[in-house]
Amino acid sequence: MKLFPYAAAAALVWAGMGGTAAAQDMYTIGVSNTVQGNGWREEMVCAIRAQARASGRVESLNIAHRNTDAAGQLEDIRNLIEAGVDAIVLNPANSEGINPAIKEATDAGIVVVAVDQAVTEPSAYIVSNNQEEYAYIGAKWLFEQLGGDGDVIYMRGAAGASADDDRNTGFQRALAEFPDINVAHEVFTGWQQDQGKQQILDYIATGIPFDGIWTSGIDNVIVDALVESDVPLVPVVGADNAGFVGQLNSVDGLVGAAVTNPGSIGGAGITLAIDLLDGNMPDDRTVLVQPVLWENGTEAGRAQLAAAADPSLDPEWPVSISVPNWTTYSKEDIIACKGPGE
Amino acid sequence: MNASFTRFLRSNGWSIGLFGLLGVLLVFTKLIQPSYGSSGVGALANAALPFAFATAAQAIVVIAGGIDLSIASMMAVSSVTAAVLMDGASEQSAIFVVIFVLLLGLTMGAINGTLIVLTRVPDIVVTLAMLFVWEGVALLILKAPGGAAAEWLKGLIVGTVGIPGIPTTITDWIPKALVLLAVAIGIVWIPVRRSRLGFSIYAIGSDALAAFRSGVAVGRTRVAAYALAGLFAAMGGLVLTMSTGIGAPIPGPYLLASVAAVVLGGVALGGGKGGLLGPILAVFILRLVRTDLTFLSVDPNITTVIEGIIMVGVVILGGLVALRARRT
Repeated sequence: MKLFPYAAAAALVWAGMGGTAAAQDMYTIGVSNTVQGNGWREEMVCAIRAQARASGRVESLNIAHRNTDAAGQLEDIRNLIEAGVDAIVLNPANSEGINPAIKEATDAGIVVVAVDQAVTEPSAYIVSNNQEEYAYIGAKWLFEQLGGDGDVIYMRGAAGASADDDRNTGFQRALAEFPDINVAHEVFTGWQQDQGKQQILDYIATGIPFDGIWTSGIDNVIVDALVESDVPLVPVVGADNAGFVGQLNSVDGLVGAAVTNPGSIGGAGITLAIDLLDGNMPDDRTVLVQPVLWENGTEAGRAQLAAAADPSLDPEWPVSISVPNWTTYSKEDIIACKGPGE
Repeated sequence: MNASFTRFLRSNGWSIGLFGLLGVLLVFTKLIQPSYGSSGVGALANAALPFAFATAAQAIVVIAGGIDLSIASMMAVSSVTAAVLMDGASEQSAIFVVIFVLLLGLTMGAINGTLIVLTRVPDIVVTLAMLFVWEGVALLILKAPGGAAAEWLKGLIVGTVGIPGIPTTITDWIPKALVLLAVAIGIVWIPVRRSRLGFSIYAIGSDALAAFRSGVAVGRTRVAAYALAGLFAAMGGLVLTMSTGIGAPIPGPYLLASVAAVVLGGVALGGGKGGLLGPILAVFILRLVRTDLTFLSVDPNITTVIEGIIMVGVVILGGLVALRARRT
């Protein structure tokens, strides 16, 4: 029976070829994003492009990327439906406002994946960073640094944005655990670097002392302002943006922590969309990516920060340029920011 | 060609040109996306809705010789007010919410106008300040997107109208959103335009001093123009809540878009000239350009540049046409 192994091998090859042929449908994927010109979102879009290219499964990307509101995103999603895409990966303007268009898309057989923030439409899939946890672990770390007592400046994101609201829930949860911590000043940076820097400079100019600063990711300019104004360096919490991580490694006397919030989640959205188009359903419609805190006060934290630091990235870009098990592109790919066929 | 038809052509030349441009764009859209059809037109009408109301609001103020930078913020106030009041309320009570929000819009606009008339501070300064005031008011009412909308209100802009006796192959091309827009604008603007108030609005925009000398109550007319703008802004806010099902306190990109559509629509920024049809056609053109750029998968960063270039190009062209008209 010498023939049998050959036959089996041939059968395997045959099955393998059949399998790959079926798995190699090429897809057209639409993307909708409503914040333009923000480092985090730009990284997200580049991760989407890089993953679509690296997957080898995306014929073309159709990207609607502009500054708009939920109504504008309804328009973009409907345009993508008209354009006949197979899947739509989107970062929602808010959790409810775009539900009608998502429903229209899924009714038309289009796979919809929301990244970064959740949507309430049940027919959509969600790959999101856990925003509430993001704020909670950073705030808790800050309050512990202050010994549970002191005045903190609370620099939020954009008023009315759902990610900001979720983060506020986490921040308030931490605050409730530390009754002697006082929020001396609360501002919305709008997630704009220039605005955040001006706000902290204005507050420093009042001369009112403060013991710590929590930021919603507008971080490196805050450290810059502290250094330039020659005021005592207080503990600062920020995100894993390249500029801030660099400062945590290099600025003398700065105590701080970076909480991860990978913009590369966009790439994970592409991977999930392709999986869904191939017919592989995940166990759960919502996948939450948990944040991690890197502090420069401990040996282990310093090692993590040193490993994560990447001066080759734009200071506004998060250093977590990939999501393990979800993205397959290289660092060069995401920096090049090229989609399929570009 | 009889005289009245010639006059119609002359006074509506710009709008007719825009109609032609829209037609050409629709054909172009069909060429690049052969599947584009009635559902695409429906999506276009839906997308145009909030922009069209913002533009109508801006157009009235600009015709009256002013400018209103607070339109998007007034839309946000109206949108969150409607969404908060309808949250948990009965379907029937929504009609009162609509009436209340429309009155609220009139009031906000009247406040803008009164401040301008009383303080004699330039429109651009007062409405810039009011932009922040109304934005803050919207955030006070609702700090994050939320609230709800009555189902029948949401239904008003979904799908197409069914007219008994007319086959669906035709009615499929008449989206409810378009009908709502035509009715809402027409019901306000047509009577105003034909009334003494309408003449006064054009008169103060053309030459406030001459209007004053001819007995027009300049201050009152200005307040009325801003109040009408507030009313249209409230309609814009309502359609935002109707299309998204919630209220959002952060103003959308309607201010600059409204100024762009007003200019593209043939309303002179100096005031006194133009109507509402041209600017609303301009809204549809600008939305369709966005759709086409999506169909063509143009790089998103280039998209914005292209939109800007189209705007500048058309306005320069319009300026040249106006210049020639003045010389002859």
